[in-house]
Amino acid sequence: MAFCAQLNILQWGVLLGTLSVLSMPIDRSQADVWVASRDVLSLELGHPIPNDWEARVASQPEVERTETYLFSFGYWHKPTGGSEVCEVVGTQLGEQALGALADLTPEMRMRLTEPGAVVVDASELDRLGVHGIGDAAEVYGHRVFVVGLLHGFKSVGGPYVFCSLRTARMILPLFQGKPHDTMYLLARCKNPAAAHELIERLRQYPELSAFTRDEFSRRTRVYWLTQTNAGIGMGCTAGLALLVGLVVTSQTLYAATAASLREYAVLRALGISRWRMGAMVLAQSFWVGLFGIAVAMPVIFSLGAAANFAGARVLLPAWLFAGGNALTMAMALISGLAALRSLRLVEPITLLR
Amino acid sequence: MSSSTPTLVAHHLFRSFGAGETKTTVLHDVSLDLYGSQVSLLMGPSGSGKSTLLAVLSGLLRPDSGEVIALGQQLWQMSENEQRKFRLRHCGFIFQGFNLFPSLTAREQLEMVLRWSEGVSQRETERRVEESLMRLGLGQRADLTADQLSGGEKQRVAIARALLKEPTFCFADEPTSSLDWSHGEQVVQLLRAAARERGATIFIVAHDSRIVPYADRVYYLEDGHLSQKPEPRA
Repeated sequence: MAFCAQLNILQWGVLLGTLSVLSMPIDRSQADVWVASRDVLSLELGHPIPNDWEARVASQPEVERTETYLFSFGYWHKPTGGSEVCEVVGTQLGEQALGALADLTPEMRMRLTEPGAVVVDASELDRLGVHGIGDAAEVYGHRVFVVGLLHGFKSVGGPYVFCSLRTARMILPLFQGKPHDTMYLLARCKNPAAAHELIERLRQYPELSAFTRDEFSRRTRVYWLTQTNAGIGMGCTAGLALLVGLVVTSQTLYAATAASLREYAVLRALGISRWRMGAMVLAQSFWVGLFGIAVAMPVIFSLGAAANFAGARVLLPAWLFAGGNALTMAMALISGLAALRSLRLVEPITLLR
Repeated sequence: MSSSTPTLVAHHLFRSFGAGETKTTVLHDVSLDLYGSQVSLLMGPSGSGKSTLLAVLSGLLRPDSGEVIALGQQLWQMSENEQRKFRLRHCGFIFQGFNLFPSLTAREQLEMVLRWSEGVSQRETERRVEESLMRLGLGQRADLTADQLSGGEKQRVAIARALLKEPTFCFADEPTSSLDWSHGEQVVQLLRAAARERGATIFIVAHDSRIVPYADRVYYLEDGHLSQKPEPRA
């Protein structure tokens, strides 16, 4: 039982962590609304749009301010040789900037203003072939150098490379010589609650897509989970963990009940009713479930912490524990109900040889 | 020593298994009376139908024909639920295996039976279980699980479980077969004490002739036919 509870909660924690990394640039931005090319499916799959649309967005009554946001894949050429696909994120850098990660310190923001300066996740240094702050590499032949390190941004695909809009335009071929293109337009609303009203109005323009931050974040995660091999695989694994949990729990309780059939037969001979014995089996299921959870909790926390330390992102929010534990108890009780079937086999006559 | 009115009367019991050429008659016109305050012993070779007779007398196996009247009630004219309630109120059983829940303590095995019997309060349950454990010399072993008890101790717990409700009848199927004689004798003495002290009707099925001196009546079953041996005690 403890194993099943651990397996389920950890597996879902890993899935949540992975999904959160995919949408982290969106979630950690200050924008209320994201505007993109038509039918964009996820953060990574945008097409360049004209900067001119910014005026369209900025003129809406709900909007406080807007800014451009660049995002594209790039080839990172390691100083030691070899290359790595990376995901370049170019944003404005001021304190009120909408696209910049909330995690960028004022010092990082200042240093990023220098052309070629980038910030990466500390756990990606090996992958990028650099050792730390001050080291340089190339993206599409343009020199870049590390000016800061973040933690908790280890990506699912290529490493994130955060930089200024200027640097992004310099190193990304998609935007070189196209100063009037951007990948996204971000908007901040005077009242965040008005974001839905704003996107409804923006959607009247057929050539663009508009989402609230949460919508775009969810869209990005759902796309990865349902449309990519890795996402489908991980989703299936989480589903499988549930199934394995149910089967193992069910079989364990069924076997425990079946192993005590002779004892139940004695109780039956003594005149104890079947419903009383059924209640005992269900009570046993309840305690087995509770004990499983009690044993699993510290192990889950330890394994989650170890995984996070190793660079994997495992999210264990309270609702996941509540849901996971409720599910474990439900599995235990459902399995207990299934185990009641074996009580039908209880006949005291079988005790007489 | 015994009342003149039997607590259980069996008339012309027949029971067979199988059909056609494979049909085997295990009980052939068996009749007997059991009395309160007495130990009745049923002996016979293996496969002679001893356990079948015990099952028919105790309401666990329906006979093909014949009747069993227990405490004035036709046992085999009762519904299944009425039979269960009859067993709940009046019957205790001891089987060959100890059949104790391995992870429950001796105390819990007994409490379970009383708690699930009707009308016994928690306090009364605890008092009677404690008393029963002390009487059987299990006071110091009460909180050990079945896995931690010796064979003799397990059988004493099984006996305590059977006698806890102070039943009118106690049916014991080979209660000493898995014990050495020193423990087996203890078991028989406990059953005999239940008959003498509480007026219980004890029916034992056994191979072991060493039990004979402790019985008030000895029956012999062979090829489905029952005969009574002379009373071993005056």
